[in-house]
Amino acid sequence: MRPGFVLEVDERTPPLLVHRGDSFGLERFPLGSRVVYPPESLPGLPDVRSAIAQALEHPLDSEPLRVLLRAGMRLTIAFDDISLPLPPMRTPDIRQQVIEQVLELAAAADVDDVELVVANALHRRMTGPEIRRIVGDRVYRSFWPHALTNHDAEDRANLIHLGLTDEGEDVEINRRAGTSDLLVYVNVNLVSMDGGWKSTAIGLASYASLRHHHNTRTMRHSRSFMDHKASALHSSAWRMGRLLQEHVPVFQIETTLNNQAFPTSYAFLTKREWEWSPRDQAMFWAVKNGLDRAPGRLRRKALSDLVADYAVTSVQAGAVEPVHELTVANVHRQQLVEVSGQSDVLVFGLPYLCPYNVNSSVMNPVLAMCLGLGYFFNMYRGSPLVRKGGALILYHPVPNAFDQLHHPSYVDFFEEVLAESTDPAIIEERFEKQYATDPWYTHLYRTSHAYHGVHPFYMWYWGAHALEHLGDVVWVGGDRRAVKRMGFRSASTLADALSMVAGSVGSSPSITYQHNPPHSIADVR
Amino acid sequence: MSSLTRLARDFRWGHVPSVPATAPRREVAPVREVSTAWARTPLARGVRAVAQAGVLAPLVRAEVRLQVTGAARLTALGDEAAVLVLNHTSHLDTAALLTALPSPVRARTVVAAAADYFFTSWWKAAGTALVFGTVPIERRGGAPTDTPVRLLAQGWNVVVYPEGSRSHDGWSTRFRPGAAALALACGAPIVPVAVRGSYTAMPRGRSWPTPGRPRVSVVFGDPLRAAPGEDALSFTGRARAEVARLLDEDETDWWSSLRRSSGGQQPALQGPPAGSWRRTWASTRPVESPPGAGPQVWT
Repeated sequence: MRPGFVLEVDERTPPLLVHRGDSFGLERFPLGSRVVYPPESLPGLPDVRSAIAQALEHPLDSEPLRVLLRAGMRLTIAFDDISLPLPPMRTPDIRQQVIEQVLELAAAADVDDVELVVANALHRRMTGPEIRRIVGDRVYRSFWPHALTNHDAEDRANLIHLGLTDEGEDVEINRRAGTSDLLVYVNVNLVSMDGGWKSTAIGLASYASLRHHHNTRTMRHSRSFMDHKASALHSSAWRMGRLLQEHVPVFQIETTLNNQAFPTSYAFLTKREWEWSPRDQAMFWAVKNGLDRAPGRLRRKALSDLVADYAVTSVQAGAVEPVHELTVANVHRQQLVEVSGQSDVLVFGLPYLCPYNVNSSVMNPVLAMCLGLGYFFNMYRGSPLVRKGGALILYHPVPNAFDQLHHPSYVDFFEEVLAESTDPAIIEERFEKQYATDPWYTHLYRTSHAYHGVHPFYMWYWGAHALEHLGDVVWVGGDRRAVKRMGFRSASTLADALSMVAGSVGSSPSITYQHNPPHSIADVR
Repeated sequence: MSSLTRLARDFRWGHVPSVPATAPRREVAPVREVSTAWARTPLARGVRAVAQAGVLAPLVRAEVRLQVTGAARLTALGDEAAVLVLNHTSHLDTAALLTALPSPVRARTVVAAAADYFFTSWWKAAGTALVFGTVPIERRGGAPTDTPVRLLAQGWNVVVYPEGSRSHDGWSTRFRPGAAALALACGAPIVPVAVRGSYTAMPRGRSWPTPGRPRVSVVFGDPLRAAPGEDALSFTGRARAEVARLLDEDETDWWSSLRRSSGGQQPALQGPPAGSWRRTWASTRPVESPPGAGPQVWT
């Protein structure tokens, strides 16, 4: 496995792959540009089943799970929802493999009262087939639908307020989880933001709890939220988690994946361009031309059918905090790349998928903003890859389209709220409560498959740190109306984009392109 | 331009893919060495002699003004085989060197060529082995080959580019000790050779010399022999210093180069410590004839 590295573009550098939403292309970057490549995929564990058994039997700072289980107890197993991993992994999902072993132990200990909860917080409810794909047939048949449910953050009868943290933050979570004798959490740690107390204290929480950290102030002080030790978001979740732990014992099982984010036949998406074989080049050409010529619905279907060949690189279990430290170390082993200094311009190609449009018809403009200025911008440790006042150039078509089933409140947010202001703090103050408590959005969240009414606000807050830090944001290939509504500018080509940002970064700026996905975290020194 | 044509251009179809200078190398699995023994059979040697004398040399002399100095130092070696060590800035270097060699010496000279570049396809391997007498060497940490040692022991002169690759800006990089180790292994002398002007005539990226018959000079130095107990690093250092002096000799004259060398004023082989454009600017300056060379004009 070769580590990640920073390439300097020279005359011998071929054009580089750039994601552009539902397509991708090859781009020639100016000579001297830096390109951050992630490490190559780590080898997967040779025997995942044994690794899980080993983790459950020899947990960190905890008794073995076998010892914690007893007849007559209330056991709740919570697990990450469909937002992880991206793209979905080939079955059997690692959550299925872990949950089955947990249930084997529970059955052996004669535990009858077992419930499974999808920790979807304010995300949309997952459908039965989606849940079946994650937990597998055996678990699904045994528990669905009565003892295998989506968390409902608006079901007052099934929430419990556990108290306030030292800083006055409400801790309100799923009642079943909060009143169990043991809460087992099964996670997939795709990036270092995931996991830890964020799993339980956020995944199983209600709006009353989430509003304490999903806000503009917290996001601006999470630098970055991929580094839990420098993230105000995580600090808040950690405070909440410690309070939660006083009420219910939590046994955390965290897993990490390698960088094999696409199927083997799409190897060109994960390989370094100068190492593309003739087969990779042919595949690139065929897939790109196929996607570019296909109708939107077919193109979307072809992409959403992709499943990743992820391999599991580690499994750790036990007390939340020591487990998470080890998990983050394993994520860093796969994703961390040392980068020397910041640049004037940072470039990202945004892919077709983000955590909130899995099995949706489209990635809407607000989600594209969240992916670029939220998740991708924050893929750093230390300081951002781009200097304060620098420019961000993003490749994405930013279609002015919304999935009516999944994102109904996004439509109104885009048309009404962003028309008034794009400043996260102003938006939060003036509009958040109205959307968070809107009965129609709440109804759709609880009974349909819609994201919560307040969710688009959170997406906008994810980008608050980037909005404050950057001097310019330009979208290459973005729909002009949609981009303008969000307060940004659109360009046709990279050259045009660089001309447009010349006012803030000069005519010969230093440029860094973070080649993402597969993911890398820039350790900026 | 169609998308397929663009792809073909971008990925250099029909050529070895170029790798960015700052990209880490892939681990190379040990590969079986391509045999070039057939290229040293009497028939192949005959074909090569005709190709080199009848096609290559006239072509080189037609495209560049080739200035050869010190070839007699080679013939003085008689039948003793030597390792020819020279600076490397252009694909033109090999053609110019072979053209500059006296024909008896050329007839028993092979050129060590990068296996990962010249021996990646059968047609390229066969073509270069036949016309230039190349033999493959690994430069990326693959299994070392003993072919050059065997050939040197059999009386073949072996041309080695100790820098391992062509210069990017016309100035030399470090000399690796492989050539000296080869000479030490066989007790053979090293003949230092300086090629000047080839970067200006045909730098990286060009496949044919620039128009206007630019001047290219090949200067042969006196054979160097290893001192008793001398190691490859020290021997390499001496060879490199002599190549630097020969380049200076071509630019000035023999006596001046000796004086500058002993006085520590000799231009550095690695070029001036300046920004990249200034280095390239300096190395692409057209090569002027040294004082006293060329036709005399009486005034």
